[in-house]
Amino acid sequence: MTISRRRVLVGSAGGATLAIAGFPAILRAQTQRRPLVFGGSVPMTGAAAETGLNVLNGYQAAVKRINEDLGGLQVAGTTYQLEVRMFDDASDPQRATTLIQRQVDENIGLFLGSFGSNIVLPTCAITERARRPMVQAGGGSDQIFTQGRRFVFGIFPRATRQFDTSVAFFKRLQPAVATTMIVYTNDPFSRFQAEGAKKAIEEAGMRVLDSIALPAQVSDVSAVLASVRQHNPDILICNTHDENSLLIARQMISSNTNTKLLYQSLGPQTAAYREALGRYANGVVTQTYWDENAAYQCPYFGNAKGFAEYYRKNFQRPMTYHMASAAACIVAYAQAMKNANSIEPARVRDALAAMDFPCFYGRVKFAAQGDGDAQLLGPLVAQVQNGQLAVVHPEAGATGRPVYPVAPWAQRG
Amino acid sequence: MSTRWFAPAPTLLGLCALALLAALPLALTPFEIRVAQQLFLAAAMSLAWNLLGGFAGYWSFGHAAFVGIGAFAAGLVGTRLMPPELAAGWGMGIAVGAGGLASAGIAALIAFPLLRLRGIYFAIAMLGVSQVAGELSANVEWIGGGLGINLPDAAPDWLAPETYFYQLLLGCLAVTFVVAVSVKQSRFGYGLIAIREDEDTARMLGVPTERFKIVAYVLSALLVGVQGALLAYSLGYFTTQSVFRLEFSLNMIVHALIGGIGTLAGPIIGASIMVVLTQVVLGNLLELHLFITGAVVVVMVLAAPGGILGLWHDYKHHRAARRAGAAA
Repeated sequence: MTISRRRVLVGSAGGATLAIAGFPAILRAQTQRRPLVFGGSVPMTGAAAETGLNVLNGYQAAVKRINEDLGGLQVAGTTYQLEVRMFDDASDPQRATTLIQRQVDENIGLFLGSFGSNIVLPTCAITERARRPMVQAGGGSDQIFTQGRRFVFGIFPRATRQFDTSVAFFKRLQPAVATTMIVYTNDPFSRFQAEGAKKAIEEAGMRVLDSIALPAQVSDVSAVLASVRQHNPDILICNTHDENSLLIARQMISSNTNTKLLYQSLGPQTAAYREALGRYANGVVTQTYWDENAAYQCPYFGNAKGFAEYYRKNFQRPMTYHMASAAACIVAYAQAMKNANSIEPARVRDALAAMDFPCFYGRVKFAAQGDGDAQLLGPLVAQVQNGQLAVVHPEAGATGRPVYPVAPWAQRG
Repeated sequence: MSTRWFAPAPTLLGLCALALLAALPLALTPFEIRVAQQLFLAAAMSLAWNLLGGFAGYWSFGHAAFVGIGAFAAGLVGTRLMPPELAAGWGMGIAVGAGGLASAGIAALIAFPLLRLRGIYFAIAMLGVSQVAGELSANVEWIGGGLGINLPDAAPDWLAPETYFYQLLLGCLAVTFVVAVSVKQSRFGYGLIAIREDEDTARMLGVPTERFKIVAYVLSALLVGVQGALLAYSLGYFTTQSVFRLEFSLNMIVHALIGGIGTLAGPIIGASIMVVLTQVVLGNLLELHLFITGAVVVVMVLAAPGGILGLWHDYKHHRAARRAGAAA
């Protein structure tokens, strides 16, 4: 075959055309990501919808960050495009079971949890049977973690361990805390929390002088405060809801009932509480599952504040700690897949069980039964200082030093 | 209660259908089995509601009370009164029976004052009963509805849990259907229908209206209580929020309305349509599924107040009238 100029020109033109036409395909092949689906259900309607939507937004925030800003998830040389495929379980456990079963049948390998132990428990029984991991931030009931399940992980510690960080904080205080007293609202949530607190305090060698139940609707706690003055505990612990916490604090101020520390599980987190009490709010201690000012570094979001800023920039729904705990589920999965160098459910499960990873939410480490490590993932302890919440425990996330004993009401500034 | 409902051919046909349904899990996926489970439960609940609401015309807006009472009674018997080694198998049977009896017992206690109310007053009173029962279950410590009850795994090792509860709920639907058929074909059933049409006239004509209403109410509560107990065991763990759900009360009515209220097949047809629609057809339309479900209910109520069976009967009458007209 002779090589003529005409042939060379035709050949070159053809080659160039093929190259131009083929280049995007080659590029696409290089940048094309394989989809990786997280299954699950979440209440988008019904009684738990408000919190369910918070959880959903948290999942979506982490997935958006990994897909759009971090170039997808690289595992074993493959880039994955994450997708959250959550269905509305309408706060109905029965509906949730069919939704989860459908996704198990469709071979979805990794699951995220719904919100509420009454939904998480029946659904995690299905994923456990199918040997698919579920990481969830919506169920704290002890029963999820005490029935021998191996594939269920919770970002929160189980309910009876959720006071452990607060007790660890009490133990750090100087002069040493010797006595406490507990006041709680007589509803299931508060009672459960108070029982856990009493057990943890006594195990730590401190005394609980008295434990008093309040009715759900209460307008006067003067009799309770008389008992507080009589016992004079170092710390008064209130497992009460916002409005009852405010009432107790107000009546303590007006009756000049002082303790070295006032701890209220709900109330001081809200600006309304701090504004209502003004300078008297300073020194009150509370717990919070997450705080954007906590000093946690993270390869996915930079730090805790980085997550908060990213979320606010990209999502409309006002931020609560639910968004952070849900996003931590995705981050835990992503890191587990990297550690396992695989997306295969059993290997991801093993990597989750072995995980010890610092992120914007704290150090993600699971207890042997799958719930969050009580010290590392338990609620942060925060104190109102100059009208703002400062994280005072654990030290790794602290943004302030604890003030103890707190000045009497009359001297608060 | 004299019955004239037994007929060999329909009974044989019914048994064949039951056998076929019992064998169906062999050909279904676990998801389809769970959808069928929900369908059987919804149909059985609606049929049981229909005994009082459809036959006697006493619409209860609070039958979820009996779902919850049945569930908690079974849960308490199954976890507190029974040794763990008996908790599954026969133990579950005893607990489920206790759930039904507790519902029936409480229904018998409140029946007399409640059934003196009529129409919307009775409906609202039942809604109140449901709310009060739910609150009590959450706040009374020994009931434990706030913290939840964890039931033992009842399914045998050799059978998948979804298949086990499929069979149990199918059996429960079959029993409820037989009860409904026997009631409807009996003197008692005719008495209930007379009460629905005109209670005062029925009483004047010698129908023991008080007794019939109470029996229908207690029977309905007994069946719904058993169904609530089975629901609790199928969930494994339940709280007040899991069983004292307004949706249960509303679905019992809606399913009967769509299929044909006061009929035998109506609640089953209605439940089948709504469960398949909400769980399968609209399963992927998150934003639209509640809207479409609501629209279907509104259209059915406006266009076919007698339900699908009512439409079918109207069509048959219309066709017969046309034929008669053509022949004349």
